Parts: sequence; structure tokens; C-alpha cells
Amino acid sequence: MRRLNPSLVAGGVIVLLIVVTALVSFVWTPYDATLVDPASRLLKPSWSHWFGTDKFGRDVLSQIMVGSRTTLFVGIVAVGVAAVIGVPLGILAAMSRRWSSEVIMRSNDLLLAFPALLLAIMFGAVFGASTLTAMIAIGIASIPSFARVIRSGALQVMRTEYVLAARAAGRQPFPIAVRHVLPNVASLITVQASVSFAIAVLAEAALSFLGYGTPPPTPSWGRMLQESQEFLFSAPRLAVFPGLAIALAVLGFNLLGDGLRDRFDPKLEDRR
Amino acid sequence: MIIRLIERTAVLLVSLVVSSVLVFAFMAVLPGDPARVALGVNASEEAVAQLREQFGLDRPLPTQYLDWLGGLLRGDFGISYVSKAAIGPQIIDRFQVTLWLVVAGMIIALVIAVPAGTVMAARHRHVSGLALSALSQVGVAVPAFLAGILLITLFAVKLGWLPANGWTPPAEDPGMFLQQLILPALALGLVQGAVLTRYVRSAVLEVLREDYLRTARAKGLRPFPALWRHGLRNAAVPVVTVLGLQLATLLIGAVVVERVFVIPGLGSLLLDAVSNRDLLLVQDVVMVLVVAVLVVNFFVDLLYVALDPRLRVSSR
Amino acid sequence: MKSYPTRAVALLATAGLLVVTACSAGSSTSSGSSPGADQSLSIGLVAEPASLDFTTTDGAAIPQALLGNVYNGLVKQDETGKIVPDLAKSWTVSPDRKTYTFTLVDNAKFTNGAAFTAADAVFSINQVKTKWTTSLKAAMDVVQNAKADSPTKLTVTLAKPSNDWLFRMTTRIGAMFSQTGVDKLATDPVGTGPYKLGSWKRGDSIVLQRSDTYWGTKPFFNQVTLKYFKDPTALNNALLTGTINVVGTVQAPEALSQFTSNDKYQVIEGTTNGEVLLSFNNSRPVFKDVRVRQAIRQAIDHKALLDTCFAGRGKLIGSMVPPTDPWYEDLTSVAPYDLAKAKSLLQAAGATGASLRLRLPTLPYATSCGQVVKSQLEQAGLKVTIDQLEFPAAWLTTVFKNADYDMSIIAHVEPRDLGAVFNAKYYTRYDDPTLQALLASADAGDEATQVADMKKAARRVSEQAAGDWLFLLPNLMVAEKNITGLPQNAITESFDLSHLARS
Repeated sequence: MRRLNPSLVAGGVIVLLIVVTALVSFVWTPYDATLVDPASRLLKPSWSHWFGTDKFGRDVLSQIMVGSRTTLFVGIVAVGVAAVIGVPLGILAAMSRRWSSEVIMRSNDLLLAFPALLLAIMFGAVFGASTLTAMIAIGIASIPSFARVIRSGALQVMRTEYVLAARAAGRQPFPIAVRHVLPNVASLITVQASVSFAIAVLAEAALSFLGYGTPPPTPSWGRMLQESQEFLFSAPRLAVFPGLAIALAVLGFNLLGDGLRDRFDPKLEDRR
Repeated sequence: MIIRLIERTAVLLVSLVVSSVLVFAFMAVLPGDPARVALGVNASEEAVAQLREQFGLDRPLPTQYLDWLGGLLRGDFGISYVSKAAIGPQIIDRFQVTLWLVVAGMIIALVIAVPAGTVMAARHRHVSGLALSALSQVGVAVPAFLAGILLITLFAVKLGWLPANGWTPPAEDPGMFLQQLILPALALGLVQGAVLTRYVRSAVLEVLREDYLRTARAKGLRPFPALWRHGLRNAAVPVVTVLGLQLATLLIGAVVVERVFVIPGLGSLLLDAVSNRDLLLVQDVVMVLVVAVLVVNFFVDLLYVALDPRLRVSSR
Repeated sequence: MKSYPTRAVALLATAGLLVVTACSAGSSTSSGSSPGADQSLSIGLVAEPASLDFTTTDGAAIPQALLGNVYNGLVKQDETGKIVPDLAKSWTVSPDRKTYTFTLVDNAKFTNGAAFTAADAVFSINQVKTKWTTSLKAAMDVVQNAKADSPTKLTVTLAKPSNDWLFRMTTRIGAMFSQTGVDKLATDPVGTGPYKLGSWKRGDSIVLQRSDTYWGTKPFFNQVTLKYFKDPTALNNALLTGTINVVGTVQAPEALSQFTSNDKYQVIEGTTNGEVLLSFNNSRPVFKDVRVRQAIRQAIDHKALLDTCFAGRGKLIGSMVPPTDPWYEDLTSVAPYDLAKAKSLLQAAGATGASLRLRLPTLPYATSCGQVVKSQLEQAGLKVTIDQLEFPAAWLTTVFKNADYDMSIIAHVEPRDLGAVFNAKYYTRYDDPTLQALLASADAGDEATQVADMKKAARRVSEQAAGDWLFLLPNLMVAEKNITGLPQNAITESFDLSHLARS
């Protein structure tokens, strides 16, 4: 039995907490997260409102709960986009000849020149800012890191004896990719997905803060933070809760990524 | 080495051309006629037609593209459709502002990351290393704009030590420039520093288990002097790469911090241009950002080779 | 003249900013240093102009900075709303109310060195008709002829009597330009005002320098910096940490407590011309039924809304007239909050459960109020979906130009804009011959007729529920205690700097 991996446990617990919160919010929140109630605005935390209420009289805890859905949704779609495009690109680059591999990786580098924020602002200009444009922009911007990591993993797999044997036996590249390469880079994909997820959470928060992310009234942690700014003097708690939620989510996914990396690659265990 | 230089330069040139086409094509698919957009919704057809002609928007797209590219190569960024002012000077102005900010942030990040990361690696089984590790994890998780808000609230509003926001060019008033630079640079630098710390740590760990370092330790050198003599140069390779990547992302990523601290940088210029639909300005700013990133990556690549003797021998 | 429909982009465009205004001569500036002193002032404002040329660019930011400071008009409004002399010393109106004869000052000079004469006035008036491209130029259509009888005598003949024309001459379209100084209006404005453009750091600030050639009383401050902030909190912080001396327009009213509780600062609270309108697209079938419109008005608890989205600052008005206009009446009782009544009106109109799209510009007050409106209307049984359009460009195209919306929220900050806003060709698509007849009669009649007819018009739009007036934006300013001359009410397009002083 290997010793407990603290990063994996801590990260796993935090991520699980967020996922459970999001799931629970579908069936139950203390209050309707978008219900405006002027009579109970700006209440301090109490037994009836654990995190207090905002300037619209909305329950902050309910908003944080529903906001976790936005965060997870953006993360899942963004990571999905990045993985669906980045993984095949990485495998393709590893398996193809030097020249075409070079072209793929150079295009990949070119994509690095378009960071998520830049893409999201450009998409926002064309299609109007929304959760969708933000997710896709973040996803596209995360493709290069996926492709790079997967390519280097796939290159190692390509040198293993069973792949060499399969190639010698005249197997077609596609079956090799699906049967041998993909399963062997699956762990890398999981690690990268976790890390990209953390980046996506940060990017969504920044975009919502700038007004290029999730539009109201859908609760979003980034926008809650932005709305809380005018209360920094009178009710700083309004910034504390969404700020903590964002930090916790990022921390959770980063720890999970680290933990997974150690798990899958035990020889690295005490390096990371 | 020479071959590699030529190869990289060729890749850079191709990337530049491809990205210019991408940026131009993207702006061309933007809905709406730039001239109509610039004049507002009540402008007469004649006024719109006149502006189209004045700015050459009535010509075929390939001609417009070549004209734009030619202008860029000559350093002529064109004239804004909205403000009717030359774009070049604005971009140069704003670029300097962002560069000051990003470079100052990077320096802070390095000052934090190199010692902290080295300690974390050298003492990775000790409490101090683990504590620093945990701290860096928290640092990575804090968005830069949140750090900015917290810094303003504490050091400007509550304590009154530093201005809350604003920007003064260094040539105008160096004292004020520094005062106003500190908080935004810290907001960027603390968060980037936390990210960088983690890379420094793993790079140093990597080096620690290399044979030459073990030999040095075996010869009786204590861990830190051994690292100092032999390790840091090798650890620098991956760190420099990350630094380059961060520098590139920060040119646009700083926009959030610019917004919080009311700094007239390149990112803010882009946001303003987008909300005014000042399309040529958007196109130029995006292009400048992309060129900057590509050029930075190019130099990082070269530096890589210069720093790592092993890479000098084998081409890849 | 048909009241021109699309006049008010400008006003709209303003919406982001409360236009702060002029004419505050009130407070004394006697003590302290004399105007000769080298004193400077820094004022924090919200939207920065994209260009300095208001002849081709809409938006309130340009006249806010330049009108009354760099440019003078023939006439201007004083703090009570009365039309008073500026470059015109006096004027007479012919008995048929169609000919205006102005006597001009003889000592005014433009900052390019040229003297101001009646020929410049004729030139400026004609420029509006021929060269201007903004919608506001329509107010000059009624002018048949402008003639310079001598360097100080100007005669303007109108096609028909119009009370509105002289009033509009106090706004930006009345600005006097030099015949030899209109080549680079976008970057290099030339006027006769107390200030001239010093420098413009785009994305940051505009610096105005006292003009040595000004013909009137020289202003106190030698240099005034207008510093622009995107973020309302950053604006407040800048005052707190001494980067600026005045917050020209407070956009984050919740944060005011940090100033009211600190005796270093003074808070000024008055009214503006900015009616925050919940606009209905009256061409949509659902809004053709007056009961639906009335139901929406009565479903909204305006007091609670104002408390929630603007910290209770601002004033409830109930129609399109601010308290500073001569024909103001409190019409809030026309549609009192009554949820049961609203529900039954909707039921009667068969509109219960109707889906409405509330398309908001990305402006802080619109985003805030929109969420309250949505929540309140849903309690009355309507389905409201919010979507946000980037302001200005996306909102102007989609809502304002194409009227592709059901409801929207924006502050209409142009003075006396009832006629412009409720018009079949405007984005409200409000087609009402009765209203048009009232407005035409008000424009042509004498003063008493004008007031009486405008009162009827204001009541008409309120009773017909042509839109819902959420509240009137307050003129909220915060300044260091020793700054004097700040206007109580913001009722003109300009932020007049000439009365400001430091005691």
C-alpha cells in the first residue's frame, strides 16, 4: 500500500465539494438565487442567510451555490474543446513524419499568440459577449498546452515495443492510435484536464469581471466579485465569499492535477 | 546553431504572415460596415459613402489587406475611423505603459520565485519547504484582479500609503511614476511569482538529482553552494521558457489589472476600441499583441539554446 | 417642422455618464487666491470622448468637456433654466415670432487669434445644416436664413415660430466656430471660451488651460484636468487618495457613505435631465394594448427599485419631465405600485405569461435596474429574459437603430426630450397623433401656451404608459470641502468650469 498522497486527497475533496454543491443547487438552494427582495438587502450573515444578502436582497450562499454551476460548466466545455482538438493534434504530431509534425506543432505555437482573454474579447466583439463565447475562447486558448503534453507522451508510447511490433505487423496508424497510444496517454490527459480546468476558472472570473463573461442575472463568481466592488468600504464580505470560492476552486483543481500526476508517475512522486 | 537560427527565423516570418491574415480575416467577418459603425446610426448614406472612400473601404479585401500590411511594415498603423487620429503614436504610447507594468511585475515575480522555489526544492522534505509549497498553491489560486482590489483597499484606502490608481509617465514625474507603479506591479508580480515558484522548484529538483550535482555534494559541498555553483544555470532553461510564455500572456492579461488600477495600457486601449467599434484600431492592437508574443517566443527559443549546452549539439 | 425622430442618439450615448452641468454661478469665490494664481484642479468623470468633434460624433462626453469651456454659444442657460446672454449681449424677437435679431459682443476672440463676428455666427449656423452629421442637427432645420448685418448684428429668420429653436441654441448646436478654425475639430478645437485645449492623453485625461484671450471674466483655475475612469470604484478611490479633487459624477452611489462620514469632503446632490426609461417597443403586438403597458408600470415598485439599484438616490418622476423644466408636475400617482391591479390588467389583455426580452446596455445602472425589473415583472406573471448588449456600439445598432427588442433601459439625458423620444420613428416606435399635436402647438405658441401644452403632453405619455420612468438620475458629486462653484442641479450639456474656485 502506497502512502497517502496529500495533494490528491485535498484536491479531490475540494473538487468533490464543488461538484456536490453544483448538483445540490439543481434541486435545492436556501433561497431562489435570482429573486430580488429589496426588503432584505445587504443583510449581515445570520442563521437565515449564512453568507448574508447582496444589494438586491439576494441570498449570497444561494448565489455561490448556483455560481458553482457556471464555473463547472465553463470549465467542462472549455476543457472539452481543448481536449477534443488538442489530443488528436498531439497524437497526430507524434505519429506523423517529421515535416508534417513540424507544421502541426508550429501552428500550435501560433495559437499561443492568441491568449484566452484576447480571443474572448475578439469573439465578444463579433458575437456579443456571453458564457458561450467565453467558454470557447478559453477552450481554444487551452489547445496548445494539451497538444504539447500529449505529443511528448505519445512520442514515448511510439517507441515502446508493442507499438513497434504493431507497426512491424503492418497495422494501420489509426488503429494504433486508438488501441495503443490513446490509452497510454489517458493519464496525461486527465492531469492536463485538471490543470486546464483551474486555468479556465481563473479566465472565466477575469472575463466576467471585465463584462465579457456570463451575463446577468445568471450568478457567476467573477461578476459577483465585480458587483461587490462598490461595497468594499461598507460591506467587504460581499467580495470575500466569491473571492474565496474562486480561489478554492482553482486550488482544488491544481492540487488534483498535482496529485494525479504523482499517482500516475510514481517515480516522480517526491519531485513534484 | 546557425542552421537553427535560420530555421527559427523562417518559422517566425511564416507565423507572422499567417497571423496577419487571420487577424485581418477575422475583422473582415465582423458584422457591420466599419464606416457606418464609426459614424453612428444616424449618419446619412452620403456621409458613410464618403468615409468608405476616404479610408479605402470600398476596395477589394485583398487590396485592403496588402495596403494594411504594407503600412504596418512601414510603421504606419493608419488613422482611426472614429477619432480620426493617427493610431501609431497611441499604440506606442500604450505599449510602453503595459511594458513597464509587465516588466516590473516580472521582476517582482522573479525576486519572489527564484529564492522561494530553490528553498522549496532544496528542503522539499522539510516543514519550511512544504509550507512554502502550500503558500505558492494559494498564491496561484488568487486572480490578479482580486489581489489588486485587496492591495488597493489595504495600502491605498485604509493606510493611505500609496495612490489607489492612475498612471504618470516616468519622464514626467519619476517619483509619482514609481508610487503608482508599485501596487499594480505587486498585483501582477505576486500572482505570477507564485506560478513561477512552482516551475523553479521542479526545475531545481530536476537538477538536484543530476549526476554532476551528486558528485559535487559527494565532494563535500553543502546543498546551497552546490546549487549555486552548478545548478542554477541548468535550472534556468525551463524557467526562462515559462517566463517567456508568461511575458507574452501578460501583455494582454494585464488588462484586468489595468482596469482595476485605471492604467492606460494596451489592453485598455483594446477594450475601448472594441466598445467604440473602432475597428482598425482593434485590428492594429490585436496584431501588435500577436507580433509581440511571437517575437518574445522566438527570443526565448534562442535563449534556450544559448543557456543549455546540450541543446547546442543536437538540433532538437 | 416635424419633430425630428432620431434626434437623441446623443443623449443616449450619454447615458453612461450623467451629464454634469453648468451654470452654477451661485457660490461665492471671494476668499482665497485671486484668478491670477496658478492653481489647478483635477476632476474625475466617467465616459471619455472618442473624438473632440461633436459635429460628427454623438455622445454627451464631448459637449460636457468643451461646451461653455472651449466653445461659447450665442445664448446659454443659467442655473434656473432661464435663457441668458453669452456671445449675444441681447436679442429681440419679431411680433410674428419668426425673426430673431442678436446684438453680439465686440471683444470676443478665438484661440487661433481671429476675432468673433456675426459672419462667424452665420457660418456656424450654416455649418450645422450642411456639414454636421449627428442627428441633433435637425434642430437647425427650422432656420430659413441667417444674415450678418454688421460685425455685431445677426438676424436669423425661421420658417415658422419655434420656442424650441432658441432653447436648442443653448446646447451644442449653438456652439460658435471660427471660419478659419474648423479643419481639425476632432483633435484641435478652436473656440472663444475661457479655456483652450492643453493636451489630450487618450484613455486617460483631457487638460484644459486658461485662455489668455478670453473676453469675459477669467476663470479661477489656470489648468483643469478632466480625468476619465471606466470603473466607478476606481473613481471614488482616486478622490480618497487625492489623485483628483472632484468626482464629477458618482456612479457607485452605494459607496457614498465613505464620503458623507468624512468631513474632508462635501457631497452635492441635486437633479439632472437624465430620465432612466424602461422603454417599450410599441410596434410589438403585445405593447399595442395599453393595458399591458399600464400593467407593467403598476407592477414595478419604483421606490423599492430606486433603493435597490441606485441606493435610493435620485427622484421618482412618473413622466418624461425633470423638475427643473417649467412644465414639471409630479406624475408618480398616475401609475402607483399595485400588483393585484397589474395582474388583472394583464389577465384582461390576455397577456399573462407573455415572454418579453429585456435587452440591456452594458451600463452599471441598467444592469442593476434590469435585474430588479425582471424580478418584479415576473411576480406579475410575465416571463422576462435579460440579455446584455455592449454599449455603445452593439446596443445602438440592435435596439436603437433596428428596434430589435421588447424592452430596454437607458437614461435619456438630453434636455427637453419628450418629443424626440416618444415618436413613431424613434426606437420607442410610439405613434400618437394626439401627442404630436400637443407638441406642435407648444412649439409654436407663446410662453403660457407652451407650458400648458407641455404639461398635457407629459400627462399624456404617462397615462398612455408610452414607457416607464424608473427614476431621474441624481446629480451626485463629491468634492474636497474647499472647492466652490459646483452646480447643485445638472441641467445643461456642459460641465461649466468657469465658476469653480478654491476657497
